[in-house]
Amino acid sequence: MMDIKERLGTLKYDVDKEYAHITVDEKICEKCPHHFCVMACPAQCYTLQNGKLIFNYEDCVECGTCSIACDQGSVTWHYPKAGKGVIYKYG
Amino acid sequence: MSDFDAIVVGAGNAGSSAAIYMANKGLNVLLVDRADPPGAKNLSGGVLWGNDLAQILPKWQSEAPLERFINNKKLGFLTEKSSFMLDFKTQIFEENKVGYTVLRSKFDPWLAKKAKEAGALVIPGITVESLAIKDRKVIGIVESGDTITADVTLLAEGVNARLAIEAGLKRPLRDSDVSLGIKEIIKLSPQKIEDRFNLKNNSGVASEYILGFLGELNVGGFLYTNKDSISLGVVVPMENLRENGVTHSYDLIEMFKEHPSIAPLIEGGQVAEYGAHLIPEGGLEMMPKLYGNGYMILGDAAGFAFSNGLVLQGMNYAILSGIKAAETAVEAKLRNNFSEQSLSAYEEKLNSTYVLKDLKTFKDIRKVTNNPMMYNTYPKLLESIMLETLWERGQPKKKIRDVLSSCASNLNMGKIKTLKEFYYIYRRM
Repeated sequence: MMDIKERLGTLKYDVDKEYAHITVDEKICEKCPHHFCVMACPAQCYTLQNGKLIFNYEDCVECGTCSIACDQGSVTWHYPKAGKGVIYKYG
Repeated sequence: MSDFDAIVVGAGNAGSSAAIYMANKGLNVLLVDRADPPGAKNLSGGVLWGNDLAQILPKWQSEAPLERFINNKKLGFLTEKSSFMLDFKTQIFEENKVGYTVLRSKFDPWLAKKAKEAGALVIPGITVESLAIKDRKVIGIVESGDTITADVTLLAEGVNARLAIEAGLKRPLRDSDVSLGIKEIIKLSPQKIEDRFNLKNNSGVASEYILGFLGELNVGGFLYTNKDSISLGVVVPMENLRENGVTHSYDLIEMFKEHPSIAPLIEGGQVAEYGAHLIPEGGLEMMPKLYGNGYMILGDAAGFAFSNGLVLQGMNYAILSGIKAAETAVEAKLRNNFSEQSLSAYEEKLNSTYVLKDLKTFKDIRKVTNNPMMYNTYPKLLESIMLETLWERGQPKKKIRDVLSSCASNLNMGKIKTLKEFYYIYRRM
């Protein structure tokens, strides 16, 4: 099985280092009963490390899955700023 | 006086088609997209049925960056060790050539270029901040703090319709509205593709699969041939992933790739791109009000897509809704009336096309496509029927009737319940 990191490595990004287009509220995530975001996100942006939710927006493919997956009100979802984020070569 | 007659947000199939139509009719159009080049954020499974495109671009088949025309449709039921395929190949598709595989990062910039050639102002790399709303009327868009005004704003912003949602024109998405599509582009030489799939003369195959080897998950698969690559992916309903998911969504596509009937088809291929996208499959239940004072909602943003397990379509619905919204805008311009009442013609027009007809005809289709039996039982039933009838094991042979009843009872399928369910599917499909 091809590692997800390797697959994400095929993607081109223009990462916005100054602005995270998605933010999570860690306090809410601490109490989350399911952490469904970890299973659902196709880009492994959400991981659990020692029971704590870690979020990285850099690999995001802007699909919107987490904005639905999170039913606890932790995820605030926006599009990246102009031209930033994932750039598909094939699409 | 507005800055533009019309602003279109989103250069996908819906937005660019609308911009082309309106610009051709002399409207002063602004088309913005958050990606640069326009369309570089867009992703589809990849089969475009282009009937409607001919309305605005009669020469699309010779001009557009297309991959392969589809002359072969397949439907497969996979179990852990078997595949049962329906394989339909026809000269009729070859003579008519309307279904093509496309790669959106090539196709969409071409479509946006056509909008520019028609006279629209196309500005890529703009993420619209919000809609400009005054006296309960959409009067344009806000970008970098500036308001750009238009008589009418066409929201073709895709499945994550942030502007419409934030302005209260559409409710936020729910699990039941969407499926998650995950896709890979796998590079293979044209020669290998043609040999493995029995293709020639730029013909291509579009295969859809029911994956019956992933436990309680209702996962569909697809495999489409491009010129020198394969578009391969999986589709899983969000509510089903939440209820029955046991592994990461990104592993599901790898499990599909490893299936014994899929692995040989992509052997030696290099993954050139990974991607994911939500598919609006909620139909009428997720459809927002399509128009209001100064705005219309198009394409994925309106929930226009169709899946019944045999086909998965969205791009054609996007194009036709774009054309119908554009017609409405052109007529509203003649009346100089962009009120809700004037723009209601958009929904009336869609009502007489397959866009809304299909959503109404198939309003219960999710009960079929999300039926767990379709995934975890029927593929196994087909497998056992085939084994019983085709596999010589030194056993006395059975009549088909007895094969069916023993296979069904092995899978705990009661006769009456099974017949009822087949009838239920038959009625809705």
